[in-house]
Amino acid sequence: MIVVGAFTLQGPRGVVWDLLHDPDVLVKTLPGGERLIRGADDTYEGVMRVGVGPVTAAEFSVTVRLRDKVPPERLHMDVDGKGGIGFTRGTAAVELVEQAGGATLMKYRAELLVGGRIAAVGQRLLDAAAKHMTRLGLEALNRELQARLAGGGGGAS
Amino acid sequence: MKPASFVYHRPATLDEALALLADHGGDAKPLAGGQSLIPAMNFRLARPAILIDLDRVRELAFMTAGPDGLRLGAMTRQRDVERSPLAARAAPLLHETLPFIAHPQIRNRGTIGGSLAHADPAAELPAVALALDARLHVRRRDGARWIPAAEFFTGLFATALTPEELLVEVAVPAPPAHSGWAFEEVARRHGDYALVGVAAAVTLDSQGRCERVRLALLSVGEGPVLAAQAAGLLVGQVPSADLIRAAADAAATSDIDPPGDIHASPAYRRQLAAVLTRRALTRSLERAHEKAT
Repeated sequence: MIVVGAFTLQGPRGVVWDLLHDPDVLVKTLPGGERLIRGADDTYEGVMRVGVGPVTAAEFSVTVRLRDKVPPERLHMDVDGKGGIGFTRGTAAVELVEQAGGATLMKYRAELLVGGRIAAVGQRLLDAAAKHMTRLGLEALNRELQARLAGGGGGAS
Repeated sequence: MKPASFVYHRPATLDEALALLADHGGDAKPLAGGQSLIPAMNFRLARPAILIDLDRVRELAFMTAGPDGLRLGAMTRQRDVERSPLAARAAPLLHETLPFIAHPQIRNRGTIGGSLAHADPAAELPAVALALDARLHVRRRDGARWIPAAEFFTGLFATALTPEELLVEVAVPAPPAHSGWAFEEVARRHGDYALVGVAAAVTLDSQGRCERVRLALLSVGEGPVLAAQAAGLLVGQVPSADLIRAAADAAATSDIDPPGDIHASPAYRRQLAAVLTRRALTRSLERAHEKAT
């Protein structure tokens, strides 16, 4: 499955780049994120509970490793997720482009393999579910960005 | 496969069902035919702690037609609507769409309200409800509200229903004079989930211009999608083949952002959306003209 798109974040690129490395922020942007800790070598490990529609939220353990970083422009992620109802693994490329007015355009492209029961039964819905969760995650990231700018930006609102 | 264990309630009245929902809310799922929920439970993808079976709530299974249109209880079986001359007269688009839903065995058990509340993006009834501007009556123990279809479907298998609320009735407005309708879909086999489907409802004014155009597409997004840009090209115009083609192209390129899967790529879905929208509009307008002359 390929998930590709772009999303405008209302804040400067440097701040976005920092947020992408902050596990306390990322856990809030992962749909159903329960915990996330930063290990060695830019590796993050966590747990999320994911459920869409009739699928009862199920626990997945997730490992994300950041690599090939070009701060603050682009990075790659290796993603590995496992749960009782299925698994996913793959890579994602993220690019941050400065926009006029201090905004940042995030371009992303992920190639993910999804397997297990969830893929066998829900194949026709994976793409829509991935788009749905990506949008939820990016909207949450934008909210965290606004909170960061409001809190640490010296009176910016 | 067998489902995970659950607590089973079978209320005999609506009040009883609403009380159970009020008490158990998010842990409970109403069972309204079970043609989607039970398979998901058997695969153990859905694991509701409590099921509230609405099968015995007779007051939710009814069909009446009046000057305002057709009113359907949420537990009305899809097959009963399909076989109803009353439904054929009062809501011809709905009636014509029903045979496209899965198979007769499934329509024997599947209910109108169950399909709407499930909100599968590939389901026919949500798109038809949207095209017909149906209103959905929702109740909870201590209140009730009417929700227009356009506000009821909020995303992927998501609706405006809160955990305490139950969909109890659907009101389909009577088609105005000079109205036409059509439903088109493509599935690999009859009864499979449609790759793309289109429900169309149009009304002409006395000069033969499009007064109202509603196009709802299914299987092209997170829920049923109203093709507003396509409709905008037609409203106020006397329809022509070129205009229909332009509207169909707008539906396929501007109104939707379809997903891809092993059955159909996004590009193929756009192609289907253009062709099916053109056919649905053409047939709807023919019917509206027949009724106008």
